[in-house]
Amino acid sequence: MKKQLLHVFRNTPFGREVLMQSVYFCRKTDTLLRVYIPRYRQFLMYFQYEIATIDLDKSFLRDPDTAREHAEQIILAGGLKPSFITPKRHTASTLPDVPVDFDYMTCPRSISDLSTKISLGHLGPKVRVIIRNAHFPVLIPTPVYKEWKSVTVFFGGSHNARKAMKVGAELAAITGLPMYVFTQAEDRPRQYYEHSLLEGGFGDLLEERRFEWLFFEKGDFKINLYHVPHDSLVVVGAYGHGVIKEVLFGSVLEEIQTVLPNNMVIVGPEVQI
Amino acid sequence: MHRYLYKLNERFQLICIAVVVGIFAALASVALNRGLVQVSEWLGHFRGNWYAFVFPAVGAALSSIFLHHVVKDYGGHGVPEVIYSISRRGGLLRLRSSYSRLVACLLTIASGGSAGPEAPVVISGASIGSNIGTFFRLKDRQRIVTVECGAAAAIAAIFNAPVTGIVFTLEAIAGEWSPTHLIPVSIASVVATEVSRILQGNQIPFESRLFHISNWDMAACIGLAVLSALVSISLMRMLRRFSGRFKSLPGLPWMRAAMGGTLVGLMGLVLPHVLGEGYEVIRTIIEEEFSSGMLLAGVVLTAKMAATALTIGSGGSGGLFAPCLVIGSLTGLFFHQVLDTAMPAIDWAGQSYFGLLGMAGVISGVLQAPMTGVFLVVEITGSYQVLLSVVLVAVISVTVSQFFEPSSVYHQELVARGELVKPRTDRHILSNLNMMEVLETDCHIVRPTMRLKELVDIVRRSHRNYFPVEDPESGDFLGMVHLDDIRSYLFDPYLQDTVLVEQVMESNVETVSLDDDLERVFEIFDRTGAWSLPVVQDGKFLGLISKATILDHYRKELLVNEES
Repeated sequence: MKKQLLHVFRNTPFGREVLMQSVYFCRKTDTLLRVYIPRYRQFLMYFQYEIATIDLDKSFLRDPDTAREHAEQIILAGGLKPSFITPKRHTASTLPDVPVDFDYMTCPRSISDLSTKISLGHLGPKVRVIIRNAHFPVLIPTPVYKEWKSVTVFFGGSHNARKAMKVGAELAAITGLPMYVFTQAEDRPRQYYEHSLLEGGFGDLLEERRFEWLFFEKGDFKINLYHVPHDSLVVVGAYGHGVIKEVLFGSVLEEIQTVLPNNMVIVGPEVQI
Repeated sequence: MHRYLYKLNERFQLICIAVVVGIFAALASVALNRGLVQVSEWLGHFRGNWYAFVFPAVGAALSSIFLHHVVKDYGGHGVPEVIYSISRRGGLLRLRSSYSRLVACLLTIASGGSAGPEAPVVISGASIGSNIGTFFRLKDRQRIVTVECGAAAAIAAIFNAPVTGIVFTLEAIAGEWSPTHLIPVSIASVVATEVSRILQGNQIPFESRLFHISNWDMAACIGLAVLSALVSISLMRMLRRFSGRFKSLPGLPWMRAAMGGTLVGLMGLVLPHVLGEGYEVIRTIIEEEFSSGMLLAGVVLTAKMAATALTIGSGGSGGLFAPCLVIGSLTGLFFHQVLDTAMPAIDWAGQSYFGLLGMAGVISGVLQAPMTGVFLVVEITGSYQVLLSVVLVAVISVTVSQFFEPSSVYHQELVARGELVKPRTDRHILSNLNMMEVLETDCHIVRPTMRLKELVDIVRRSHRNYFPVEDPESGDFLGMVHLDDIRSYLFDPYLQDTVLVEQVMESNVETVSLDDDLERVFEIFDRTGAWSLPVVQDGKFLGLISKATILDHYRKELLVNEES
């Protein structure tokens, strides 16, 4: 059955790159691309416990007359059929509710701030809200179109990491691309991680050696990240902390997104697998 | 805290949370009340100056700038958003709504805009309730109750009227009276009133005298009820028209708000009664001190209606309760003066009596909530003596008003967008389900070039009766094979080897898309007699939707509704 990816289109050269990434992702994973072209500065996403109020930066509404045409051109050039969504529900007349029943969503690193702020190490607060609440994984593409030739899953043995593993394994299976699993052992033996994989139902993957395990017992995490192929789609689980908690206490996601310039799929705490 | 709360029975959980919601909603109401008094007093020193007419314009512009550029709250005036949240979104409201409208309304009203603080405190209280419910991870149906608690508490605290808070919430917002809702809402309302009384004192806002009510007065109530209804209808239409006109004007929202504010300010130069909440007008009428004649009463009434429509229609922030009370009291005054002129021999109960009835008539007519009008007037005036007349005026006013305007001022916007869903109705239950929820994706997809033998193998392993056919190249949906279509071939091995799926498939199948709602899906089920329909989006098959699954979800949703 076709899965669906939600993309909020920004009618700028930067938005073009992001849409191209979505098109590429959908083509590789045989996913239906559904594009929302905003008509208002704000939209709402009603998740189970929180409303994400997405305040779009001005560039999202730039030149609305050509937005649909541009999006269609990019999608058709990527070999997909354009499919646009029009929100049917509105909290107020100028406040549309964008549906959340998707399997993936593409978010640039920041959706509310100006694109000049988009850089490594910066995940916008609204993107964090989406990650924290969404029941779907979030694709964070690179600022410039970049194809990926493999899938790398970050696995640290936690429940979230197992969810990421499931998403990563599925993506690798659909795309037929090689899969890497990156583990930075934290004073734990390799058996601990193997056991966690077995418990998570990944025994087949482990026994049949269907992935290459980048297992690091020593060394600095950030330095070891160099071993992640530059053209790999990174899949990582996240606890979905707010920006203050992330900055104060740090997290694996924070370190990865600060160092790796790859396309990333972030599997948040509410993702239902 | 969560742990202790979860150990409690669900009803006790809600009661405990209602107390917390009541306290916070009351604090929000008191803060707004105090803020309004302080800022109005401060601005009062400058009111005598020639430039005072720009105050409403500056206030409305600042209010609009604050909402649109500082807190970025693009919601409307508040109450429709609360109703929408309860009926369609499981009571979810944004945290920013708990303070954004309070500040915006403070700027609008204190500067002289003709609006009331009630709608902003309702959304503020409701948002406080919603976010407290979310903090405790309540289920949707429980969070709806906490939202109602917040709205009731806010109204109760701002008017020092606990019963009005309860009645308004259940009648105008929730649209249903159920014991599960009534108890927590009542508790929140009582708690909020107590908090407000502790902080502001226990005062009846417009205490009235005793009346001598004759049969003539009772008979006159019918005339006043009809007049109140006509005034209500005119006010609702003016609001709609002004709002439409201002929206069609070019320029930024704050410019339109400033334009409306300027017009209100200019009106205020001639008729200062139209500025602000206007409670002073009500006080004068209740105390029988409004000495001007019938003509002036009529002019002030019309001007207040225009000022309210200009303030709110141009984008100023505020509610309609206070203006409705003022307009109602002026309607009553005008009616009394007509009676007095036409039948001077009769000893009428007085302008105060008719003023009270007019307030009940207009507020009931505009909100189309008669009990809210009745209890509000009785509680804020402390006059239980007029109960009979007030009920009479309120119900007649609502009946006449509904004849010309089928929806209340709060429901009009939602009705226009097709978002108003009455609780516990078939449509409400169906609207709580969405296509993705009932989509069945465990289907066996077959190819058109597949031999029937392979399909029979799939049928043997599958529990389904429908098999979607997809183009292997493009992935496009081509049609469906139903078990009935191949029944005649099942026992013929020769045909199974020769017949292809594309030869037996139905290619003209009625499909639905994810954008369709379940009401439309049921229409198709009824029309076609099908039990399952393919869900196709842009030519791609996404899954099946079946009557059985929808009914199963419907039943579950019905059980949830019965619990609440």
